[in-house]
Amino acid sequence: MSEGIDVGSPDEIEEGTAKVVEPEDSGFDEPIAVFRTESGCFFALNDTCTHEEASLAEGWIEGDTVECPLHSSSFNLRTGKVLCLPATVDARTHKVAVEEGRVVLYPGVDADDAARTAD
Amino acid sequence: MSSNLDAPRRIVILGGGVAAFSAASELRTRGYDGALTLLSPEGLPYDRPPLSKGYLLGTEDAAKIALVPEAWYAEHAVDVLAERAVALRPSEASVELGDGGLLSADRVLIATGARPRPLAVPGGELALTLRDRADADALRDALAPGARVVVVGAGLIGAEVTSAAVGFGAEVTLIDPIDPPLVPAVGEALARRLHAMHGQHGVRTIASIPVEISASDGGGARLLRLADGSAVAADAVVAGIGIVPDAALAAAAGIEVDDGVLVDASGATSNPTVFAAGDVSRLRRPDGTLTRRAEHWEAAVRSGQAAAAGMLGEPPPAFGAPWFWLDRYGVHVEAVGTLDGRFGGRVILREADGVPQAAFLLADDGHLLGAAAVDLPLLIRAARRIMDRGLTPDPAALADPSVPPRKLVP
Repeated sequence: MSEGIDVGSPDEIEEGTAKVVEPEDSGFDEPIAVFRTESGCFFALNDTCTHEEASLAEGWIEGDTVECPLHSSSFNLRTGKVLCLPATVDARTHKVAVEEGRVVLYPGVDADDAARTAD
Repeated sequence: MSSNLDAPRRIVILGGGVAAFSAASELRTRGYDGALTLLSPEGLPYDRPPLSKGYLLGTEDAAKIALVPEAWYAEHAVDVLAERAVALRPSEASVELGDGGLLSADRVLIATGARPRPLAVPGGELALTLRDRADADALRDALAPGARVVVVGAGLIGAEVTSAAVGFGAEVTLIDPIDPPLVPAVGEALARRLHAMHGQHGVRTIASIPVEISASDGGGARLLRLADGSAVAADAVVAGIGIVPDAALAAAAGIEVDDGVLVDASGATSNPTVFAAGDVSRLRRPDGTLTRRAEHWEAAVRSGQAAAAGMLGEPPPAFGAPWFWLDRYGVHVEAVGTLDGRFGGRVILREADGVPQAAFLLADDGHLLGAAAVDLPLLIRAARRIMDRGLTPDPAALADPSVPPRKLVP
């Protein structure tokens, strides 16, 4: 599970949005959301909110948090820490890096809590 | 007023809903390291919104709706006792339990919630209500395929129960004198769209009120007589007509109560060692006027957090515009602020193919007073930020379905 996966070029994920990598592409057992913050950093979390079935990639991304589109639980994109109810369980992080001009996701490898910028 | 009191060392919270839990969690977050006990008659706290949604439908079980895993309570040194307080004894710094025992408490938080408002007609006690997990279990049993179910009250709970009953294949009649309901909460256009969904799903809606419920035969069936002279036969009647705050303990202890335990912004009651939060509480503004009780989930969370600060003698956090959601027939509706235009402002609709998707209430000075939307949750997140930051949005952009929510917030 430590093999990196090419998610695309950084420009393919607009700032303030996210791209979902499905299990068949990642080999990980859950969809993974790769977020690009407004400041250009990349982070990845399990896409499904830890509270109910909702895609965090469809949430509101601001600063280094994402707010779930269903019940507004917020998560820290760097650490996966849940910031408010109704979710009470942290989101799982995955390592993302920009390597040789590509966004590379390491499914199942914990993020090292360091921002990865596009440049 | 709490500045004259010693810092608390023994806090007892009455209740096991989200207000009680939020207060306990917030106390620990703020560094309170004294004793902390939840008197939660139903045991470990659970989340109530699913009781009219996933839990009622059977797609979420009791474990799924627990507010936190059981281990959280030990990790945060919170004792949960499945007991009910029978009296407050603030002058003795204690709470009396059902067996007559006293639990010492130098601060008490009343978060006892509310009970369903009874249907005050002859036979009204035959109606099922929905407030706790046991109610939802009983209701689920009644919502069988082909069962004739009459729901009284088409507000948030009644409509969600109706939607669930339709999902179970019941034959549903929905009775409410107001057509459409929820106009102050979501605005007239969305209220009409949402109320029309009942008919589109085969529900018969009747704009009336029941005047009597009787047993029509020996088979357990009911007969509802309505104010318009008609009658409806039912295998089960469900009433979702509001809640009554469970404020008896406060009243008996001489604490000021007026359709809820009266509190200030930090949850303090008229007794400086007793606080209240959640559905049981009612905010009294600094000028003495009373607000309408907020009966939504988020309001309960916030008031629990505010009371935690208050019990520690700290100022309550600043909260933004109030928010709530509802789900019915597979659509997810959210609203922030108010759509109640009776006091002014103008409504801006966002429509797609002539169908209203979202409504905004703009104040005369251009500030946003509220927004509601169907299946457009990011629009509400945008509206919330616009309100909390005091922005004046472009009305044309609000109305334009091609403008993405993110573009509304600079």
